[in-house]
Amino acid sequence: MAEVVLDKINKRYENGFHAVKDLDIAIADGEFLVLVGPSGCGKTTALRMVAGLEDITSGTMTIGGKVVNTLPPKDRDIAMVFQSYALYPHMSVADNIAYGLKIRRMDAAEISRRVERAAQMLELGNLLDRKPKQLSGGQRQRVAMGRAIVREPQVFLMDEPLSNLDAKLRVQMRAEIAQVQQDLNVTTIYVTHDQIEAMTMGDRVAVMKAGVLQQIGDPQHLYDHPDNIFVAGFIGSPPMNMALGRVEAGNGDLAVRLGAATLALPGAVAAARPALAGYAGRDVAVGIRSEDMEDARLARGGDDLPRLSTTVTMTEALGSEIVVHFVLDAPKVVTEDTKALEKDAHSSDVALHDRGTRFRASFGPRSRVRNGDEIEVVVDTERVHFFDPETGAAIRS
Amino acid sequence: MTATNEVVRLGSAKGGWFRQFGWRHLVGLLALAFSLFPILFVISASLNPLGTLSSSTLIPPDTGLENFTKLFGTTSFSRWFLNTLLIGVLSAVLSMFISAAAAFAFSRHRFKGRRIGLVSLLLVQMFPQFLAIVALYLIFAEITDLYPAIGLNTAWGLILLYLGGALGVNTWLMKGFFDTIPKDLDESAKVDGATHSQIFFGIILPLVVPILAVTGLLGFINTVNEFLIASVFLTDDSSKTAAVGLYGLISGERNANFGVFSAGAVILAIPTVVLFQFLQRYIVGGLTSGAVKG
Ligand SMILES: Nc1ncnc2c1ncn2[C@@H]1O[C@H](COP(=O)(O)OP(=O)(O)O)[C@@H](O)[C@H]1O
Ligand SMILES: [Mg+2]
Repeated sequence: MAEVVLDKINKRYENGFHAVKDLDIAIADGEFLVLVGPSGCGKTTALRMVAGLEDITSGTMTIGGKVVNTLPPKDRDIAMVFQSYALYPHMSVADNIAYGLKIRRMDAAEISRRVERAAQMLELGNLLDRKPKQLSGGQRQRVAMGRAIVREPQVFLMDEPLSNLDAKLRVQMRAEIAQVQQDLNVTTIYVTHDQIEAMTMGDRVAVMKAGVLQQIGDPQHLYDHPDNIFVAGFIGSPPMNMALGRVEAGNGDLAVRLGAATLALPGAVAAARPALAGYAGRDVAVGIRSEDMEDARLARGGDDLPRLSTTVTMTEALGSEIVVHFVLDAPKVVTEDTKALEKDAHSSDVALHDRGTRFRASFGPRSRVRNGDEIEVVVDTERVHFFDPETGAAIRS
Repeated sequence: MTATNEVVRLGSAKGGWFRQFGWRHLVGLLALAFSLFPILFVISASLNPLGTLSSSTLIPPDTGLENFTKLFGTTSFSRWFLNTLLIGVLSAVLSMFISAAAAFAFSRHRFKGRRIGLVSLLLVQMFPQFLAIVALYLIFAEITDLYPAIGLNTAWGLILLYLGGALGVNTWLMKGFFDTIPKDLDESAKVDGATHSQIFFGIILPLVVPILAVTGLLGFINTVNEFLIASVFLTDDSSKTAAVGLYGLISGERNANFGVFSAGAVILAIPTVVLFQFLQRYIVGGLTSGAVKG
């Protein structure tokens, strides 16, 4: 068991590419930290520097209080699960799992005891004699886990261990890995590009973009209080709705105009964000999560709730909720962050540019809204997010 | 259109079986005859007791083992044969190992001079070895004075020379194969605590057995058949390889000793055939399948 501290870690590859920039993360003993971000943002690079497979250009890396910058991987007391599993094709499952122990000249009795226990934990018992190519994807994944577990290392490092599995198996293995980690209570750094994995597995989640740490915190905190537009759009599914609105100040109270509608902001909202008043008369990026909107006909609390009027373009009934798509007559937010998010999602709303912004709201299942309906959408203004449209940073204090 | 409901059968085109498949058999048979003819000719010459080139026919009028008894009785063939095996096996195994080690370094490590090393290996390889034969002879004449054990007329000197000659091609061949083995395997082993040599012997070598078998076999065949350099280096009757020794039999009076020569050639072919049979099952791909992905 050990804590892992990355202090101003930088990685510049030989070709000059600056893949990781001033990364500061402290992972507590026994913690499950998920490093998440779009593909190419430097997650693997960061993990490989912890493992010792990649030189650290600058900064200090400590594991268990010891600086490991120049220590080779074998002396860092870590175990790594590779995205490809990296099973040795010519060895049986048992030999694969035992390899790290044999290399370290552990005695045979202890090796077989550990292999047996890991096999039991991962339900590999009857596969121990097979070769990797005789295993299914999920089984290979488990062998890779087993290889890490038997080492009983100070730290587990996992690089997208589930990305080669199909969706259903991924959900199952997600739970299994989290369970194993909890049972063993080993400090774990888990890399993924899948924000759902990040949310469901991590004690804490660190979001990266283009080599820079955007925000770190427990999953709910990231979801409720994203520090910038990128985190807001990356964490959560469906992503946070976002449109340009204008802050208006009238007789002491603040309001935000979104297209044709004006949403009055409760005093508490403005009080929690002292900086927001400074934006009076200017545009801000307004973020609203889908669950913070509701069909006005279902909403309790009367006619004076802040609301948007719009036309439904599509509905998706999921049983527990209805996802309602509509186009809000407010301009789209375009920043570095939104571009990065669009690239990650391979989506683009170019066609909508001058008509407005696509929104998704999730209504209660009793809503009778259908395609083409003119509807009123109530917005929970206490839970609206505001971001600076230039820097993308959350507007707070 | 009346032909629309006509059933089309595979292979039912005009000309039928021969147009489809037969000609391939014909080509195959021709190629077989072409390659079998010299072998049959040599075998029959080795069995022909008359033992001269002019009396050799494809089907000998009479057969007997006189040529073989003469080969072992009147020449040092058994000595030459052992020399050949020793030189062949040792240079094949050693060059296989050295090339594998070099290929591992070139494939897995990044070091100063890597690119230059690879390119110069290739360039040096482009010149036939016998271009350097005069220089090599002079060098080894000097070595013979200083260290006679690895000089001219020794198997060791010749092995040393063959090792250098095969290194370039083998290293390139193997590097290409090594490059197809995922680097994740090395790194995983590294994290598990393995040293470079443990990775090389324990992880990589078992996965490149096919290419080891190929280079080993080719190395052996080349060495056994090599004549030019061996004939310059080995002049003592007792140190000759079979190729050099056998050539000596027919270089003077080509006609008379042809039967004995053929008998030697037939025996010389045996180790290669045996080795090939033995290595054949290793020369298969697919050993790395299942290493990564699902
Ligand atoms: N050996 C390398 N040399 C140069 N650039 C690299 C190297 N490895 C990765 N990169 C670059 O560094 C960036 C981060 O890569 P990586 O850490 O693998 O991203 P992620 O794991 O988040 O998808 C990418 O843009 C990638 O192209
Ligand atoms: Mg990656």
